[in-house]
Amino acid sequence: MSEPVVVMEHVSKQYRQGSTDVPALRDVSLTIERGEFTALCGPSGSGKTTALNLIGALDKPSAGIIRVEGHELGSLGRSALSELRRDRIGFVFQAYNLVPVLTAYENAEIVLALQGADASARRATVMKVLGDVGLSGMEKRRPDAMSGGQQQRVAIARAVAARPAIILADEPTANVDSETAEKLLELMEKLNRQEGATFLFSTHDPRVMARARRLLKMVDGQIVQDERRS
Amino acid sequence: MLRGPALFVMAWRNLWRNRRRTIITLSSLAFGVMTAVTFTSITDQSLGDAIDLAARMSNGHVTVQERDYRDSPSLERSITADDALRARLAADGDVAKVVPRISGQLVVATATDSFGAGFVALDPTLDDERSFAPLGQIVEGKVFSDARGIVLGKTLAKNLGAAVGKKVVYTLTDKHGEIVSGLGRVSGILSTGSPTADAALCILPLDAVRALIGYGPDEATQLAVYLRDQRRAEATAHRLSAMLPPNAAALSWAEVNPDLAGFVTVKVIGSEVIEIFVVLLIAAGIFNTLFVSVMERLREFGILLAIGFSPGRLFRLVVWESLWLALVGLVVGVIVTAPLYHWMHVHGIDMTARVGTNRVEIAGALMPMVVRATIYTDHAIIIAVAIVAVTLLSGLYPAWRAARVQPVDAIKLGY
Repeated sequence: MSEPVVVMEHVSKQYRQGSTDVPALRDVSLTIERGEFTALCGPSGSGKTTALNLIGALDKPSAGIIRVEGHELGSLGRSALSELRRDRIGFVFQAYNLVPVLTAYENAEIVLALQGADASARRATVMKVLGDVGLSGMEKRRPDAMSGGQQQRVAIARAVAARPAIILADEPTANVDSETAEKLLELMEKLNRQEGATFLFSTHDPRVMARARRLLKMVDGQIVQDERRS
Repeated sequence: MLRGPALFVMAWRNLWRNRRRTIITLSSLAFGVMTAVTFTSITDQSLGDAIDLAARMSNGHVTVQERDYRDSPSLERSITADDALRARLAADGDVAKVVPRISGQLVVATATDSFGAGFVALDPTLDDERSFAPLGQIVEGKVFSDARGIVLGKTLAKNLGAAVGKKVVYTLTDKHGEIVSGLGRVSGILSTGSPTADAALCILPLDAVRALIGYGPDEATQLAVYLRDQRRAEATAHRLSAMLPPNAAALSWAEVNPDLAGFVTVKVIGSEVIEIFVVLLIAAGIFNTLFVSVMERLREFGILLAIGFSPGRLFRLVVWESLWLALVGLVVGVIVTAPLYHWMHVHGIDMTARVGTNRVEIAGALMPMVVRATIYTDHAIIIAVAIVAVTLLSGLYPAWRAARVQPVDAIKLGY
């Protein structure tokens, strides 16, 4: 039996806009198991990004319980949440993912460094993941000297390097051209199959949906369809 | 890499993301250093000179005299200034020289006229112009070499109609309050530039005056104590007091010359007020730079929080940026200030033509009209520490603001 990485139980989230509460997520229950390659899809405002932010401990739910590898997020303080994000969750955002003053190598290394991994282990891991994402030889480049696709590859390398329990990718192909998007998806699929990395995407992109082995369709803050593919 | 010191690498690189803004901020810091050092060094030099000169025009940085002499000056109030006591005082590490003096009032007369004046009786084998400035300001004749000699201020000599080689009679009260007179021959005429001193100063031989007023061979009204650093006067006076017989007291120049002490205090406070304004201006500039820099990077901070930076680490990152600003600003400040300081220290600004004299008497001290600059080491350290501290303080709110960023709100920015 597969091991659950993320469990959401009756999770709701409301945002305050002026004097009214706007529901973003309504009573969502969901389990993501280790090794999944799952896409959350749906129209804008359907709650995809809100769900990712809540799972990633970037935001707090208005109601319900979220567990990541058994840790109930609501019971953790600010510093414990920082450590959980650092050690167990990887993020790939749609753009401007990287620290501009750090090189590709340093950006990929940063989470490992925060974890306190020793220098030689860091170097071996970072060189491998940069090789895996096709950026060997570009270690010393800063983000402003790389294309959008290359920057996304560094972000993926950073997310994978620390071997998190889950990688949350919010519209990772939104700001790159079709060819680059295909390559990024191939890369993430390869990392999922070969390294066992668990991915959860939020996306509009039909290419992402086509590759996902589990597709969760969201409408008005609710999961209305859960399709598993072989 | 980011354990500890590597934060400073990120901070250093962040500093140069907007070069123009950083250079403008560094310029304001450097200007602040230059202003603070220039004001402070001119104040240090001019007031130090005034205090040293006042000590050399009177009885030292520290004056040892009979306990009640200051409130009721009289030749009846003497101390025994024997060699043993002088040697004890001179053994103090801050003391450069100890000389006996007798000072008081007299009437000096020629056949045609008489005037009241102050006198200082000294031994020219112990005193010289470094301990008693008027000895270096004899413009006619020379200091006495026998018991009959007398040196007169230029205006006093003119008023008396006395010239070098002429006889004068001086009259004063002796140790017992009796009126006594001595005969002197003018050996020299001095011109100090101080109207007060030139019109009312006589210098007499110490042993001749001792004999005239009935003092013993070691008696004096003062022991003039000269220090290596005038700023040690209070502490040294306090220490020397413990070595004195019960009837004697050691007073700092500030106690002997309260007018000058008041003037010095006013000047120092004025200088400090200017420096506080300079520091506040610097603080405002640095705060603006760091705050704008933080507000421009909120999304980046959100990303950093998402990947595992703690709020405390973000706070430290911005503090490191302000520390770098402070240190680089200080170095640039020193580099731009050094040539100006060197020129002011060596050459100074000569105000003689503008003022019309090369010295001005203020609160009994002669202020030279060449404005030079010398900064005390501790004042330079205080300026450096103040610049770093104010820069760090200016960075605290921006750093706190960075640490308070909510990642979910910050990451939305920029999409």
